[in-house]
Amino acid sequence: MAEVKVKKEANLSDPAEVESRIRDLCQQFPHGITDQVIQNDMPHLEPQQRALAINKLLSLGQLDLLRNSSGLLYRMKDTQSTSKVKGSDNQEKLVYQIIEDAGNKGIWSRDIRFKSNLPLTEINKILKNLESKKLIKAVKSVAASKKKVYMLYNLQPDRSVTGGAWYSDQDFESEFVEVLNQQCFKFLQSKAEAARDSKQSPMVQRNSSFATSHEVWKYICELGISKVDLSMDDIETILNTLIYDGKVEMTVIAAKEGTVGSVDGQMKLYRGVNPVIQPTGLVRTPCGLCPVIPDTLATILKGV
Amino acid sequence: MTTQEVRLCGLLLREHFGDVVEKVGTHLLRNGAQNLRTIIHETGISLDLVKKSLCVLVQHGTCVFSSGRKGPGSPMEYRTGCDRILRILRYPRYIYTAKTLYGDTGELIIEELLQRGEMTMSTTVKTVADRLTQNMEEGRSMDYSEVSSAFSKLVETHFLQRCPPQAGAGATPAAPATADTPGTPATPVSTTQLTPERFPDCYKVPHVTLIGRGKRQLSSEDGEDQRNAKRAKMDSETHGDEGIYWQVNFERFHLHFRDQAIIAAVANKLDQTSSEIVRTMLRMSEVTTSPTATCTKPLSANEIFRSLPASYNIPRPILDQYLTLLVDDPMEFVGKAGESGGGMYVVNLHRALANLARATLESVVQERFGSRSARIFRLLLRKRHLEQKQVEDFAMIPAKEAKDMLYTLLSQNLVQLQEVPKTPDYAPSRTFYLYTVNQLPTARMLLQNCYKTVANLIERRLFETKESKRLLEKSQRIEAILASLQASGAEPEQLTEVEEMITAPEKQQLDALRLHINKLDSAENQVDETIFLIESYVNSTATSS
Repeated sequence: MAEVKVKKEANLSDPAEVESRIRDLCQQFPHGITDQVIQNDMPHLEPQQRALAINKLLSLGQLDLLRNSSGLLYRMKDTQSTSKVKGSDNQEKLVYQIIEDAGNKGIWSRDIRFKSNLPLTEINKILKNLESKKLIKAVKSVAASKKKVYMLYNLQPDRSVTGGAWYSDQDFESEFVEVLNQQCFKFLQSKAEAARDSKQSPMVQRNSSFATSHEVWKYICELGISKVDLSMDDIETILNTLIYDGKVEMTVIAAKEGTVGSVDGQMKLYRGVNPVIQPTGLVRTPCGLCPVIPDTLATILKGV
Repeated sequence: MTTQEVRLCGLLLREHFGDVVEKVGTHLLRNGAQNLRTIIHETGISLDLVKKSLCVLVQHGTCVFSSGRKGPGSPMEYRTGCDRILRILRYPRYIYTAKTLYGDTGELIIEELLQRGEMTMSTTVKTVADRLTQNMEEGRSMDYSEVSSAFSKLVETHFLQRCPPQAGAGATPAAPATADTPGTPATPVSTTQLTPERFPDCYKVPHVTLIGRGKRQLSSEDGEDQRNAKRAKMDSETHGDEGIYWQVNFERFHLHFRDQAIIAAVANKLDQTSSEIVRTMLRMSEVTTSPTATCTKPLSANEIFRSLPASYNIPRPILDQYLTLLVDDPMEFVGKAGESGGGMYVVNLHRALANLARATLESVVQERFGSRSARIFRLLLRKRHLEQKQVEDFAMIPAKEAKDMLYTLLSQNLVQLQEVPKTPDYAPSRTFYLYTVNQLPTARMLLQNCYKTVANLIERRLFETKESKRLLEKSQRIEAILASLQASGAEPEQLTEVEEMITAPEKQQLDALRLHINKLDSAENQVDETIFLIESYVNSTATSS
């Protein structure tokens, strides 16, 4: 190897040789090489030439420039992705890289502008270009309907952007939620009634009227009214709305790790309850439901 | 003393006592304690009428008098309070309760005492016996001893109490107003409010010699009877209980209503047996618990088991299970206070009242704004402070609709906004805006709404009566003619002729009118139930804080 090295050293000034040497080094260290490593390998290479070679490789799209705590890292890029952006110019590649880094949360156009320091018009042109090449796509965020986030074409948008199971195409599916709400309530109510009719001792009655969140989840899955897969957390949010409706109450019990449906050693139990009082006397009169009752005070003060 | 309360008190006074008393009463309510001269001067009513109105008010316990601001020698000052007048709204409920507990006799005793304000035992017994005899068949009459025993029972269970005697220090000549009415001697009284319970003889039945039977009135003088109900019946006999006047103990009735509300809530939430257990517990602590206590005295499970009604033969372990279930219930009606005696249990009175008041608030929001707003309201009650986005997420309501509902609730003052600034300058973009519900102020606001509602209902009823006054008078005249004709033995043709003086549409109108007035009356009673719940809750927080 010594001759090779000597030979290499002799042709130090050849930029192509430098580039291929750097590329070999990158392949040797797939996690990336620092400037230091290149320097160690070719100690007689001047920093200028080194920089030139590295820039050439970067512009060709064969090297990735990363930054870590100690300095800059150069990493070999996948040939596949290299081929994708072939034919695009530097700016597009830069924008593409930024979007790729954003992962499945997507990135807003203004943030792209900050990261790349390119003017807005350029950014818009590039984004349109990339979209037509089907490399990226725009996803409307559910939180702010005017905001569009961009992400790679083949990525699934993250839950926080689309809103999860309750949103389809940026619309909150209230009927779906309502249907689920009623189904869960009916299930719990029928369980409570069955427990009441069984006429056993009160403790057994109450315990049999409870249903774990896992049972409710299974019931809803088997009902098949949902097109999307619902997780147990989703069902728990639906059951919470039933609690806020005053129709259901919840207790938490300690459960052994490993019993079906237990999360962190706890299980949530739900049961249907009856309301505590009938609709109160005030709301049986028209005044109780009157929408203008605060305004009538003024007329009373004037008249009486 | 809010505007609504004063307006409602005015309407109640006018209906029960007339215009003059209403003027004097509302004047005193608005202006606090005043002496006789000022009242006459400011209301413009003559001395005689003012004196009589004050008599009426004092007789019914509405007005108290005390020596003036400048010391014991100055003229008497008269003061009224709203709450006593507002009790008038609840009279039907008191009478009905007495009827369910003590039968017709009890009902009539309470009714007489409510109408007269305060009376001696002997007068009450005689009047009630007479009234009962009226309604019995010919030849039978009511014995005084039966009525006396009913009276004593009422006193034993504290539903009736003696009126506090006025302190008999040196009489001053400057109190002529009260000389007419029996039972309120013209002597100055210390300014501290003397509760009847500070006197040891409060619930002691005096030894009264009452032998006789009720007398039936011979001629049908229904109209006169009504008018005489408010005047004192002058009786020449004495029965050994002069000067001992009795009044209705409203607090005791209120405790009874509160217990009933708790039992009904337990029955709704759990089941019949649990409510029976709670009823037993409350009955056992009726006399041992003070009215303002947070919870009853601890009762051991053994005692409860022994005191259960015989019809409910629940085995002991089942009773223990029911008690455990009651304790575990999130509503916290019953709490466990210890382990001795098989488990010591208490009924959490204040907490039960708070839960009932919360359920009332939720019910009002639900009926007024819909079940989704009720969901948001309950959510805020549970989670205390939430941001707008969190409300939408937890309640699973689309953002636009949730915003709309929150703003409606905010404008009606049912929900409040709490600002938590990030920077000292409260810039809107850098502040957290949290929605919250405060139960106590909201309950107070709802109470004022209830007063306004009842006042509106009363006014509507008076309006309807006034509109059809002519028709009502005509129907009354015809009834009087019919009655006199029947009494003097007339032929059927004459009767039908008189009946036909009311045409069919008029009859329809009369029926419709009667229906409306009955509905308005029952609506007043229903709103009064809400008033009672919220008032008890507000008072319970006042005493505990």
